[in-house]
Amino acid sequence: MDWFGVEIDGPIVVVRTIHFAATATMAGALMFRAVVAEPSLRSAEQVDLIVDRRIRALVWICVALSIASGVAWLLLQTSAMSGETYSQALMSGALVIVLNETQFGLVMKIRLVFVLVLAVCLAYDRFPPVRWLGLGSSLCLTVAIAWTGHAGSTPYQLGYLHLTADALHLLAASAWTGGLVSLVLLLAATASHQVETRAALELDAVRRFSSLGIVSVATLVGSGIVNGWILVGSFRGLGATTYGRVLMLKVAIFLIMVSVATVNRFFLAPRLALSGGGDAQRKWAHGLRRNALVEIVLAFLVFAVVGLLGTLHPAAHLVN
Amino acid sequence: MKHATLVRLGTLAVLLASGPAQAHAFLDHSEPKVGNKVTAPPREVTLWFTQKLEPAFSRVTVTNGAGERIDNGKPRVSGNQLSVSLRSGGAGTYHVNWHVLSVDTHSTEGNFTFQVGQ
Repeated sequence: MDWFGVEIDGPIVVVRTIHFAATATMAGALMFRAVVAEPSLRSAEQVDLIVDRRIRALVWICVALSIASGVAWLLLQTSAMSGETYSQALMSGALVIVLNETQFGLVMKIRLVFVLVLAVCLAYDRFPPVRWLGLGSSLCLTVAIAWTGHAGSTPYQLGYLHLTADALHLLAASAWTGGLVSLVLLLAATASHQVETRAALELDAVRRFSSLGIVSVATLVGSGIVNGWILVGSFRGLGATTYGRVLMLKVAIFLIMVSVATVNRFFLAPRLALSGGGDAQRKWAHGLRRNALVEIVLAFLVFAVVGLLGTLHPAAHLVN
Repeated sequence: MKHATLVRLGTLAVLLASGPAQAHAFLDHSEPKVGNKVTAPPREVTLWFTQKLEPAFSRVTVTNGAGERIDNGKPRVSGNQLSVSLRSGGAGTYHVNWHVLSVDTHSTEGNFTFQVGQ
């Protein structure tokens, strides 16, 4: 498929987008539950139960999407690697070769184990150790994506640096995206269940998420510098290659997300804190929800761009 | 703000937001070197790529000046390095054709020649 002069492998881009978005949302939602929702809602048991139920439902959906898109990705990738059609790749043994003899196949098998452990933990997550094990599995599931991509194939010592940066980038993107979706669920739960301490609960959750967001953005910036240095390598690579131009589109979306997050942090959150309940409090909480939804849409656009970037030649290899 | 400053800021912003991405293996260099001339037939050809390779889907063939295939079949892969042993092929222009799959799952292919003889 040709799109504005860029040759696109449509099915793989779509599958990768869904897989990255589902995996990131899953890990981010569990991070949010552990460091934002549980501490913030300790005093409001009813709301805590509702938010917990909604986050678990979200994670179950993401687990299903992640498995389905992961299987589709494996089949599409096997077909691309072997040069055979999907049915031929299944029948010829290419799938077995990919699973047993390539790094991509090995990583996908390990990730399948992590997602199955996560599913078991979700089913029995009344106990704190099981919850932590589930969170750990989701983080491993996310970090392992780095070994399927460019970072996993960068040779020499630089490869270790690239893998570290990519893993941190994935974790930070997950914390932000999954946290945003979960924050919307939390604010919706507090809005629909009138609790006396609603304003304090919302404010506490927003502040905790804001701290998580700042750490995420800082990590994205740091790891992004390393990835950009390795994959683009020069100013010329930005404008002279398709990879560079698509990357600039990603950066543009990222900057808009940071701008919206800045409005939330320095405009809406302080007003929510000063509102003291009533209509003003509902107004600012509604504003935060709306902006979080905008950020979520932008985050999924970023995942689509990442899905596309993965199919393009990095600028550094073309320019240097 | 000056134009140059804007360009630098824009570039920095782009670098900040690069994400998990995938690449393709390009030929970095080879031994014998691409297009070069060697006096005696080499015992093997080694190619270095910009990415680590998957042995299961990477191959290379070498033909001599007479068009006969002189590589010994299955290549050896170590990281980003691909080697194949050669039988003696005499003087002439050697053609190297490679098809590799990088660890990040992308296939690339290419070819080059080198000369053997005085």
